[in-house]
Amino acid sequence: MSRAVHPRIGPNRALDLLNFFVADVQTGFGPFVAVYLTSHKWTQIDIGFALTLGTMTSLIGQLPAGVLVDSMRNKRIAATGALAAVFVAALLLAFLPHPLPVLTAQILHGFASCVITPAIAAISLQLAGHAALGERLGRNARHGSIGNGLAAAVMGASGAYFSSRFVFLLTAALCVPALAMLWKIGAGPHSRSQTTSRALDVDGLKRLLADRRLLIAALCVMLFHLSNAAMLPLAASAVTMRAGQFANLIIAACIVVPQCVVALLSPWVGRTAQKIGRKRLMLIGWGALPLRGLLLAVLPGSWPLVIGQAVSGVSAAVFGVLLPLLAADLTLGTAHFNLCMGILGLALYLGAAISTTMSGGIADDAGTTTAFLVLAATGLAGVIAVWLAMPETRPARETD
Amino acid sequence: MTLMAAAILGVAAGVSARADNPPPPVANDAPPPAIPVQPLSLEQVPPAQPPAAVQTPPLSAVQSVAPDTAEAILGQPVTDPDKKEIGRLVDVLVDANGQPQAAVIDFGGFMGVGNRKIAVHWSVLRFTPGDTKHKITVTMTPDQIKAAPEFLDPNKAASVVTPADSVAAGH
Repeated sequence: MSRAVHPRIGPNRALDLLNFFVADVQTGFGPFVAVYLTSHKWTQIDIGFALTLGTMTSLIGQLPAGVLVDSMRNKRIAATGALAAVFVAALLLAFLPHPLPVLTAQILHGFASCVITPAIAAISLQLAGHAALGERLGRNARHGSIGNGLAAAVMGASGAYFSSRFVFLLTAALCVPALAMLWKIGAGPHSRSQTTSRALDVDGLKRLLADRRLLIAALCVMLFHLSNAAMLPLAASAVTMRAGQFANLIIAACIVVPQCVVALLSPWVGRTAQKIGRKRLMLIGWGALPLRGLLLAVLPGSWPLVIGQAVSGVSAAVFGVLLPLLAADLTLGTAHFNLCMGILGLALYLGAAISTTMSGGIADDAGTTTAFLVLAATGLAGVIAVWLAMPETRPARETD
Repeated sequence: MTLMAAAILGVAAGVSARADNPPPPVANDAPPPAIPVQPLSLEQVPPAQPPAAVQTPPLSAVQSVAPDTAEAILGQPVTDPDKKEIGRLVDVLVDANGQPQAAVIDFGGFMGVGNRKIAVHWSVLRFTPGDTKHKITVTMTPDQIKAAPEFLDPNKAASVVTPADSVAAGH
């Protein structure tokens, strides 16, 4: 009888590492795709089209993906399918940078993203149960941000030293440990009925969609991203105007600093959400946004930008933990956890899409300062919505 | 796909038109050899052209252009005078006479975040097809490049940076 050489990875650790690897894999598919396609002589119009196609797919796919993941009893199969799609998408981008493969890759990746987020949240809920979900989500967010930060650093460096194709090969390679960790998690014992819809559960669906809390939560999520999404790109392009040679370093810092803050704060956010409730944390997280917008509007420059990014780390930590937690709260008693994740995800993507378009237009016409002030005002609207309209959603029986 | 192919072909044609100054060779430069004069008879109709030179002008001429004489530029890295890569050339603004006026360079940023596009005057660029590492150089200082306003909408007037005044001139 041979003893295992490596200690067995328990399900919680495996879920940690799954979040780490999935975040790694998602890093390459961001704005870097535009850089990669430029180096393959794509015109700006075609690149814009490819990126828009990816965003649209992610937007349109939120609800169907939620329904799909709800209908599958074994969430790990949904996550496996999504990771396989991402693997194929990365290889397509790496080896076939032509229109049809790239557009296919964008669609594959867009839909896979819509599936994997609710699937991981559902797996977390099943593993930890509702009472301990906050802390579990905090761990998810911590490992996700570590993965994101490390991957950005490694891929950014290797993209410069080797070729930009290497980034997508690395992305594809990282899907393998992600899959390995996924299957080490095992079946979680909790919340099966909440996360799996057997037949078309019309009553539960009606109850969910009629829930005023869901509408308010979706509005708050949308306002958050309406304010948040455009701030970094807007500030970053201003930085490249000022900093010249050091722009790369500053922007790398701008990406890494909030990830560090998220890694540090998320488990605390999760535990606190369990202890004192969600609403006070939401006020902190949403409240940091208008502050950041004001800072960036009033003090242009590299240092305020990095400090603003640290502040955004606080909002990101709160948001990252609270989104799935709210979905779990709102769907207690129904069987539509993943659909609710999809609804909130849709609000997220809508807010982000409108944010970049709106702020770009304002910056062109009225300057970046005005754009930041508008974003700050939107953030303030979000805080007011949370303060006045959002109820506390933590279930009463969990109160100490 | 058609749009992209058309754009690439259009620019390639523009570049090659600059590169080759002599007009493409035409088959019939020399006057045709003299036709022997003979009394006309019905059976013998002199051919319109001597049978030996039986050519019709070709529809197009094919010329070989080596990569060290003319280079493809779209998507290529652009270096500053210190040989550091600052960005990539992503577009060319060409006037009605086929003369390139400006190049759009996408630069700055990390992993795609924070990229800006600026338009620089064509005269600022130096092309060295023979050097595979530094094919395109922009003869502007980093400070001049930094201050350039962003090139946003190809349908609006572009602010093109020129070396004579580092303040952008409306184009």
